[in-house]
Amino acid sequence: MSDGPHGPHGRGGRGRIRRSLRDRLEGRLLTLLAVATSAALVVAFYYPVGTVLVEAVRVDGAVTLGVFAEILRDPFYFGELARLFAGESPIAVARDLASPDRRLGIVGFTAYQAALSTAASVALGLPAAYLLARFEFPGRRTLRSLTIVPFVLPSIMVAVGFVATFGRNGTLNAVLGALGLPPVDLLFTLEAIVIAHAFYNAPLVARVTTAAWESVDARAVETARSLGAGPLRAFYDVVAPQLYPAVLTGAALTFVFTFGTFPIVLALGGFQLATIEVFIYRLVRDLSYAEAAALAIIELVISLGVLLAYLRYEARNTVRSRGARPLPRKPLFPAASTARQILPRVGLAAYFVVAGVIFLAPIASMILASVTGADGALTLEHYRFLLDRQQTGAAFQVRPWPAIRNSLLFATGATLFALPMGVVVAVLTTRRYRGRKLVDAAAMAPLAVSGIVVGLGLLRGLVFGIEVAGWRVTVAGSVAIVLAHAIAGYPFVVRTVAPGLEGLDRSLIESARALGASRARVIRDVELPLVWPAVVAGAAFAFAISIGEFTATVVLATSADAYTMPVAIERFIGRRLGPATAMGVVLLVVTGLSFVVIERLGGEHRGL
Amino acid sequence: MNTVGSDSTDGGVPTDAPVAVELDGVSKRYGETAAVDDVSLRVREGEFFTLVGPSGCGKTTTLRLIAGFEEPTTGTIRFSGESVAGVPPEDRDVGVVFQNYALFPHMSVGENVAYGLNFADPPGGVTRDERVAELLELVDLPDAADRDPESLSGGQQQRVAMARALAPGPDLLLLDEPMSALDAQLRERLRVQVRRIQSELGITTVYVTHDQEEALAISDRVAVMRDGAPEQVAPPRTVYREPATRFVAEFVGDNNVFAGRVVDAAESGAAGGNADGDGTPRTVGVDVGGETLRVEAGGATAPAVGDRLVFCVRPEALRIDGGESRLRATVASAEFLGETTRVTLDWGGRDLLVRTRDPLSGEVVVGFDPADAHVIDDRRGVTNDDL
Repeated sequence: MSDGPHGPHGRGGRGRIRRSLRDRLEGRLLTLLAVATSAALVVAFYYPVGTVLVEAVRVDGAVTLGVFAEILRDPFYFGELARLFAGESPIAVARDLASPDRRLGIVGFTAYQAALSTAASVALGLPAAYLLARFEFPGRRTLRSLTIVPFVLPSIMVAVGFVATFGRNGTLNAVLGALGLPPVDLLFTLEAIVIAHAFYNAPLVARVTTAAWESVDARAVETARSLGAGPLRAFYDVVAPQLYPAVLTGAALTFVFTFGTFPIVLALGGFQLATIEVFIYRLVRDLSYAEAAALAIIELVISLGVLLAYLRYEARNTVRSRGARPLPRKPLFPAASTARQILPRVGLAAYFVVAGVIFLAPIASMILASVTGADGALTLEHYRFLLDRQQTGAAFQVRPWPAIRNSLLFATGATLFALPMGVVVAVLTTRRYRGRKLVDAAAMAPLAVSGIVVGLGLLRGLVFGIEVAGWRVTVAGSVAIVLAHAIAGYPFVVRTVAPGLEGLDRSLIESARALGASRARVIRDVELPLVWPAVVAGAAFAFAISIGEFTATVVLATSADAYTMPVAIERFIGRRLGPATAMGVVLLVVTGLSFVVIERLGGEHRGL
Repeated sequence: MNTVGSDSTDGGVPTDAPVAVELDGVSKRYGETAAVDDVSLRVREGEFFTLVGPSGCGKTTTLRLIAGFEEPTTGTIRFSGESVAGVPPEDRDVGVVFQNYALFPHMSVGENVAYGLNFADPPGGVTRDERVAELLELVDLPDAADRDPESLSGGQQQRVAMARALAPGPDLLLLDEPMSALDAQLRERLRVQVRRIQSELGITTVYVTHDQEEALAISDRVAVMRDGAPEQVAPPRTVYREPATRFVAEFVGDNNVFAGRVVDAAESGAAGGNADGDGTPRTVGVDVGGETLRVEAGGATAPAVGDRLVFCVRPEALRIDGGESRLRATVASAEFLGETTRVTLDWGGRDLLVRTRDPLSGEVVVGFDPADAHVIDDRRGVTNDDL
């Protein structure tokens, strides 16, 4: 056909034979990136985690399940359930479980606080979803965007905020005292942990539920109403069934997150209210690696079990409604004032007060505490302390500037790693091919594995050194931290970029390819520019995750010069709250500024 | 495939023109289901070739196989005799226009049109800018280069998509329902323009549509597809006048399909052999629901008494109180279409369609000339149970 009589319309000069070397390389680029990403995952995640897990089943060189059996039969871990594993009658165990002085053990307590936290998060999240999905008011979009903020706030900073709010000398007691009420001490209680978990996870529940609520097609509700259903009946029959899956999504994720919680419990509960994760940390510090590893596996199995059960449910219950006309939003301040108009709004007003205390008080209290002296007067002494420490601190002491510098350095490094990894995985998991789910699961596994295990694996593997073909390979602690952060952050890049790619019209991609662009070129020219805001958001996520990461960092920051801001805060919090809050404010400011910078950089590069 | 009365002038492209695209026993299976089932087709150079059929017939999948977006499960696709198996879409020198136009929303109209020139020099030795201007001129949007695609109307976007697909000078233009998102009037105007551009450039074009009227209006040849395979491949007139199967007869335009048994082959001159040979039309009597209708049977095989026979008569060939083969029926409903009225008659519980200019009511007698009946001699899509 190349010699056809096309007149001015002859063959353009691309053609299957005449492909330049550059074109060929470009065509292979995606494959190369995928291989590099897989290699990074293996080196920084699968291999380290694997070495840890192997320790659990290998004692003195022999493979054994003895460590597991011991943990399962130990009431310290499994409470009354341990007797079941030890072979006692289920009836006796059930009777003791029902009695008030039952023992839960560490695993039982972890599940118990996770369940309570989940209930609290759902209770706190649903009214927010109702408000965001069904009402119109100034700042609604902003508020909706802000629901993501708690998720990226460094947990150790939030813990400081909670201490500043709910501690003996916290703002809550100050307010209670001013009202003539007796003080309360919520610190080192289950309540504080549950509230802090709700702080993190209620916005998550609110986000997923709001999204589901907004995708309810108004025409379905209108049809139900026209068939004779009242407003409440229409809600139960049409709206609610579309919300359950979303609420369950939020609940399942909350349970998994709070089941594996670490910094919050460490800071607000201490070792007397230890969860599995905290105890693994303790075992690691005591160098009981086998027991720590076995415990980590048990934790992982439970977490994955919940996730799998949820995913099966989701697969059965996901309804995709595209092009739906959403329900119209009601004004928050109505013109008429009937009981039906007023009641929900009174409820929302009450909710505002509770939400204000839980979401705003910790941050406000932290800032307040950082400028308040022991005598209650305004002072800058805590910041001065940080400066003094910077100038006069001994080598073994935590100084602020190295912490800030390390945090920024590690976060930049982790983002530079996580961003391409995340984009590549997002591209791979949004294409259609056999085994895609497997790739997706393998790539998302870091979400489910405890940071302690990753940190421990990297520490005992790469940092202490491994033999590869006769060469001893060691990696500096700081490099290992960057790797751990990148691994922790990149799933969030995937999760922000993939939906955008998934939503792209396939014919855009196919048009570009028919016009002569290779697969990799299409990603550069068409897909990334169109999902660029999501890429920037992914970068911000990766950066925020890294800057707030505590769990793996505290394991890996063994050398004196690898500590980050969260680690510094944790060191300070043990002695005096003031410097910790001051450091928390520094972390808040640095994180905020970084977001602005990322946003600016993203804006300049828009369109590549 | 192309057996029924394909004359070399009606198609517009000489039958001996070189083959541009050939599908040879091509199938595409997704698990158990075959979207495209053993298709063999030849598109000639410079031809406007249309795949038409109801949704799910495999026409779009066939187009995507040609474009290289999908690889066939079995069979071979050849461009100018050369297999393109494993050749990715970007190396096939094809231009594709989609139903939703798929303009890149982050690029201006000019950038959209120029995109393919990143990978190919503009044909004819002109610069990129000149080529873009040339193409926008061709689609009657000379001043649109700096505009945002989303600021254009649907019809304009469609033309930009055409310009973009044509800019690198592809060997083959593939159009996937490019007009089905537009309103009827615009569609008619645009298809004239598409056909004009195609003729001007002489570019081989494969067009996919579900609209049989559009297919007849625009094409050199049409492949009517059903269940993953073409039932007939022929110029539009042939497809309309001599449908190869009952499905084609009913899909393309309004039609009245009759099925019955040959009761009288007296005039066929059975001893005389093939009537086509000596130029004498041969008619047979067919018993259809108790009435005997005379039908001209011009097929290759002579029907004998007792044979089952399927034939069709276009509504415009049914005349009130006229014709040789007559039926008595009652008016059931009428749709006024402006130029004519489409009347549905009830004939013994079956529907008959008639076109008239005058209003009808009550009982009427309609008839047709045996020559206006077309016998469907392809067994495909017709089982004995249907008769």
